[in-house]
Amino acid sequence: MTDKEQYKKVFDKVASFGMEPLEVYRLMQKKRKHTYIHKAAAAAAAAALIVCSTGVAYAANVGGIQRTIQLWVHGDQTNAELVIEDGNYSYSVSYQEDGSAQTISGGGVAIEDDGTERPLTEEEIMTELYMPEVEYKEDGTVWVYYYNQKIDVTDSFEDGVCYVKLVNGDETRYLTIKYDDGYSVSSQKYPSPDSFN
Amino acid sequence: MRQSLEELIEAYQKSLYAAAFNICRNTDDANDVVQDTFIQYYTTKKQFQDEEHLKAWLLRVAINRAKDISRSFWKKNRLSIEDYADAVPFESREETGLFEAVMRLPEKYREVIHLYYYEDLSIKETARILRITEGSVKMRLSRGRSFLRDVFKEEES
Repeated sequence: MTDKEQYKKVFDKVASFGMEPLEVYRLMQKKRKHTYIHKAAAAAAAAALIVCSTGVAYAANVGGIQRTIQLWVHGDQTNAELVIEDGNYSYSVSYQEDGSAQTISGGGVAIEDDGTERPLTEEEIMTELYMPEVEYKEDGTVWVYYYNQKIDVTDSFEDGVCYVKLVNGDETRYLTIKYDDGYSVSSQKYPSPDSFN
Repeated sequence: MRQSLEELIEAYQKSLYAAAFNICRNTDDANDVVQDTFIQYYTTKKQFQDEEHLKAWLLRVAINRAKDISRSFWKKNRLSIEDYADAVPFESREETGLFEAVMRLPEKYREVIHLYYYEDLSIKETARILRITEGSVKMRLSRGRSFLRDVFKEEES
């Protein structure tokens, strides 16, 4: 057996062992959840300002933190519950949109310099949720959402690439969008279009 | 050209999962990467010249997404490489040894080794997908192989 054959055999087994079955229906469900996560990213930014400035409702949950926040979802303000679970690195945000309940869940760990892992702090979760969102609407327009800002960037593309500087207080984000081919955000400079997708 | 999601899942899920796992070293994140990649295909209106172009694009999206996840806060809990190797039903010590050796490689060598040995991609194709020079691919392939010389039987050519 050649090295390539051996390598393929090993990683075929890895794939067969861990790969989850995928169905188109489930992917579409996931796409919907994806959209909501992005919506919440724009929304939670505004929510975080409120959290920071007022302290709002704060309650100790069993083994975690539950907080009532207000979200901006594509410019519409709505109430939401942020639950940060203790010990299992996960959080969820629940809110109403178009009359139906929506829940976003996420999670993760932060890696310290010494390699140890720890749960994300609330501030880190909020920071991650602050990221701008890009939306392609059915009418062909392209919109950027950041905090409570809604910007139509449809006419800002040159050779399929658009650069948007977003400012909120003393926080600046540099956004590079490749039309229909992804986007990238940095707090330092515009990401090169070649550096993603 | 475009293909239906059903066709894509059938044709590429295993490849994308293997590429994602190679970077994330974690089943949950790798499955997330595969789903995100198919969702990105579904939401883009991009047209592809041929099958090769489509596969290269899917691999590039999956690899970039896997790197994003690996470097973000959102890494899921994971087993150690040794524990994971124990869980996968490898048939021999050689297979387990190869898996562990690859997983211990630095990421930049791991991704090149994987595209060469698993996907059968050329130096040129690998360079295009990873957006690095062909010289860098050759160098990383050579260094990666040298790390794996104890588990690979063939001589380097």
